[in-house]
Amino acid sequence: MAADRSCFPTNIHLASPNAMRMRRALRMSRRDMLLGAMGAAVVALGASRPGFAATEEADPVVPLFLAVSQRLTDRDVLDPQISHALYAGIIHANPERREQIHKLHDLMASGSFASARALASAAEHSDPVFKDVIHEIMTGWYRGVADQKVVVYRSALMFDITKDAVYPKTYAAGGPFYWTQTPPEVAVPTGEPALSPSKFVVEPT
Amino acid sequence: MPSEQDLSADVVIVGSGVAGSSIANELARAGISVIVLEAGPRVDRQHFVENFRNLENKPSYQGPFPSVPWAIHPPNQMTPNDYLHTTGPDAEAYQQVYLRMMGGTTWHWAGCAWRYLPSDFELKTRYGQGRDWAVKYEDLEPFYYQAEVMMGVCGPDPAVEDLGSPRRQPYPMEALPISYAAQQFRKLVSEKTPYRVVHEPQARNTRPYDNRPTCEGHNNCMPICPIGAMYNGSYSVYHAEAAGAHFVPNAVVYKIERDSANKRVTAVHYYDPDKGSHRVTGKYFVIAAHCIETAKLLLVSADEQSPDGIANSSGHVGRNMMDHTGVQVTFISGDKALWPGRGPLETNVIDNFRDGTWRNERGAYLVHMVDDNQVDLATSLAISKGYVGRELEEQIRYLASHTVRLFSHNEGLADPDNRLTLSQTHKDVLGIPHPEVYYKLPEYTVKSCEHTRGLFRELIGLMHGTDEQWTPGYFPQDHPAGSTIMGTDPRDSVVDGFCRTHDHENLFIASSAVFSSVGTGNITLTVAALALRVADTLKKELAHA
Repeated sequence: MAADRSCFPTNIHLASPNAMRMRRALRMSRRDMLLGAMGAAVVALGASRPGFAATEEADPVVPLFLAVSQRLTDRDVLDPQISHALYAGIIHANPERREQIHKLHDLMASGSFASARALASAAEHSDPVFKDVIHEIMTGWYRGVADQKVVVYRSALMFDITKDAVYPKTYAAGGPFYWTQTPPEVAVPTGEPALSPSKFVVEPT
Repeated sequence: MPSEQDLSADVVIVGSGVAGSSIANELARAGISVIVLEAGPRVDRQHFVENFRNLENKPSYQGPFPSVPWAIHPPNQMTPNDYLHTTGPDAEAYQQVYLRMMGGTTWHWAGCAWRYLPSDFELKTRYGQGRDWAVKYEDLEPFYYQAEVMMGVCGPDPAVEDLGSPRRQPYPMEALPISYAAQQFRKLVSEKTPYRVVHEPQARNTRPYDNRPTCEGHNNCMPICPIGAMYNGSYSVYHAEAAGAHFVPNAVVYKIERDSANKRVTAVHYYDPDKGSHRVTGKYFVIAAHCIETAKLLLVSADEQSPDGIANSSGHVGRNMMDHTGVQVTFISGDKALWPGRGPLETNVIDNFRDGTWRNERGAYLVHMVDDNQVDLATSLAISKGYVGRELEEQIRYLASHTVRLFSHNEGLADPDNRLTLSQTHKDVLGIPHPEVYYKLPEYTVKSCEHTRGLFRELIGLMHGTDEQWTPGYFPQDHPAGSTIMGTDPRDSVVDGFCRTHDHENLFIASSAVFSSVGTGNITLTVAALALRVADTLKKELAHA
């Protein structure tokens, strides 16, 4: 399972409320003679076979999604666990996406695309539906959202690329009044968009 | 079906927000027995924090606070709405959100703790507009300070930065140092305009205070401060409970019982979630259930003795609905990176338009440069523009560091035609009608908003802004007021200057519902000051009883 190892710190989840609750639950199960064996069995199963492993074996598009994602983010390394969770969310919201992601990978494999922009532009040109697919992939990786649900919060790439300046809300760690310091300057971007623009809708509060 | 054992206390309070819980705390500390009935559940902070982190639409202030079926609150600001039904030409401008939960709506406020200006209490006398209060600033000043100490308010030294509300005491804590973004905004406004940017007084710790930590700048005051550095009503609940007050969650009051003369309230009745009915008796009663729910309760309690509702001989219960209307624009600054979102959400204000002789024809306003983390918005915007890969990442960094959001609080005005009534078509699971509000923006407010738009355009120009996104129309700032308006004449008002109802001598209202004008500053500190004055009155009267 070495390929499945997270590229984020393995203890990042320990600070989350879910993890705290899980730890409490596990401590209880150890104390509880009746449920202890069942709890241990669940933990052992989880350790040796992460929940997505069976699906990944059954669905050959899972690694294709990761490969397409790496190209579309211009990144060599992405977390395969997050990748699988995003893929599952996207497919759950729209089962047709599975075939479309497969075709997007075929397109990628059929040519030599040196950048995310090159692939995205060619994809939209070949079939407009790829624009929506790519939007969902970008939303997944950068916002951490798929199927209108939060898949990851702190690990969303939008926070990775801004971590020298701001913290994800509720996770500040700069100490009191860190905000008075001068943040980094940011140059005016020169890159061009790859896809045609879409209407931007701000959701109501 | 009545419960077997009735509850009883010296003072019975309906609602556990800032108003209800602070009164309970004061009374319980004075040895007075108190029962507080809260329609919603008791939920802890960590649960809300987890809800927020799992929320896809992060700007949704109601999102982390789902309501329970027996005490629903508005799920969002959408019109039509599942709970608060607004009608009239400006229905969307009154689509308020608030919470029905132990601790109240300050679970999601930004901690802005403004005192009103002396002129706000005398709008009619000074400017010939709206109404005067039956209380003056000087009467409330000691209670403002008491509220600031209770909440833990930080603010500027008046000798350096006079905010226009005279003080006998300094703020309990020193002003919060403003962010780099706010510093740059302040510098620009100071150098290029005749206006000024001031430190906003905030119920936020700039040092450890009341066993709560110093603010760490999580930038999430709304919808939920993760560490409790910002005051909210739950802390007054905890203090009141420690002093002996009895809080009952999931207790939905639906009836206010009076004596045969209809002069004194004798009991309130509440439903539990299974619609079991319970009666609670007391010597004094305080309705502190938020502007909208307070008026709703008085109207729901109508009976043969009071066919138009309780405390409503004037016919003004539910009328005079006011709010701070908002103008909002988001744009991309063409100047250096600001990186908003470092530190608390709202720390600085342009206060030049809070008062002036022009108030005889248009409403006052104040302007926030919101220090909101824009990374999520920047990401959505950059994706919608068609960026991917490296170019997307460049765009996110640029947009997140250059996005500016300005919004205003524009003064509403008491108009009896802006009215809350009981829905004829919608009821909750307990059979209690939903609230419905007819709203037409006063021309006074419309003119104020026009002036604000001009100021915003000036500021956008000074910041070489592009990509302006104006929030369409007018939007509510969730500061509802006026539904049980205060006045000296019982024929056109519901409560007197002490927040006692004209009709029932032992019934008080502690809420922005009593406001006679709405000024410009956030309403919470004034709600708390009025509530503490109610507590003071009750303590004196019970001492003599």
